[in-house]
Amino acid sequence: MTLASLADHASLLLLGAGLLFWFWGTWPLLESRTYLSKLHALSVADTLGSTLMLLGLLLRIPGQWPLLVLALVALILWNTIFGYVLANCWLDSRRPIPPEPKP
Amino acid sequence: MRRLLPLLLTTGFRLAVWCLLTADLSRLNLMIGLVVALLLPRAHSRPLPLRALLRALGRSLLAVPQAYLEALRLIFGHEPVEAEISESATEGSIPLLVFLDVFRITLTPFTIVLGLEDGGRRYRIHAMKPGPRHGGQTP
Repeated sequence: MTLASLADHASLLLLGAGLLFWFWGTWPLLESRTYLSKLHALSVADTLGSTLMLLGLLLRIPGQWPLLVLALVALILWNTIFGYVLANCWLDSRRPIPPEPKP
Repeated sequence: MRRLLPLLLTTGFRLAVWCLLTADLSRLNLMIGLVVALLLPRAHSRPLPLRALLRALGRSLLAVPQAYLEALRLIFGHEPVEAEISESATEGSIPLLVFLDVFRITLTPFTIVLGLEDGGRRYRIHAMKPGPRHGGQTP
């Protein structure tokens, strides 16, 4: 097996694994589950699944590596921090509003 | 060194992003990237301890393979159970280290940081782990 066909097969494997992660993580969004458990599942789908797909693309089109690496770094950082932002907003919305002082 | 480190880090990071974006390592392009990196506004930075930064960076990188292991355990494990836990911050006063901590904890599918409590000394974390096996000896 040549190196090129090995890279081709590995890339297909990574793309397929990423797609599986996507489906596994997106399905819970449609069910009636708690908001935060959906967020946990989404981190599997969005961050980890998409990362696998980008790695697969990196093997498939190595000529475009600067843009793909940039996309990879941006994706991991943004998705993770956005997950934190959503969780933090949820926490804020749960805090009881302090009663307004009476005049 | 501790005072210079934030400037070096931001400039280096911006220059790296510039190089990746333009995919061009010619001298002229590097000069333009350096000028852009230095001209962009910077947040007020505090002295940064190098050792703590390297440790935090290493732990954040290690979190990536760990995240995949946790994802597989969530996918193939039993019905997950949710809990709220709390973890003490390694260095609560330095924004970059807090950012790296929040990134490391939130990246792994088992845990998400909900916020900081106790004046930034502890993280409030929501955890979701595969529960015990059905029919097992659960208390």
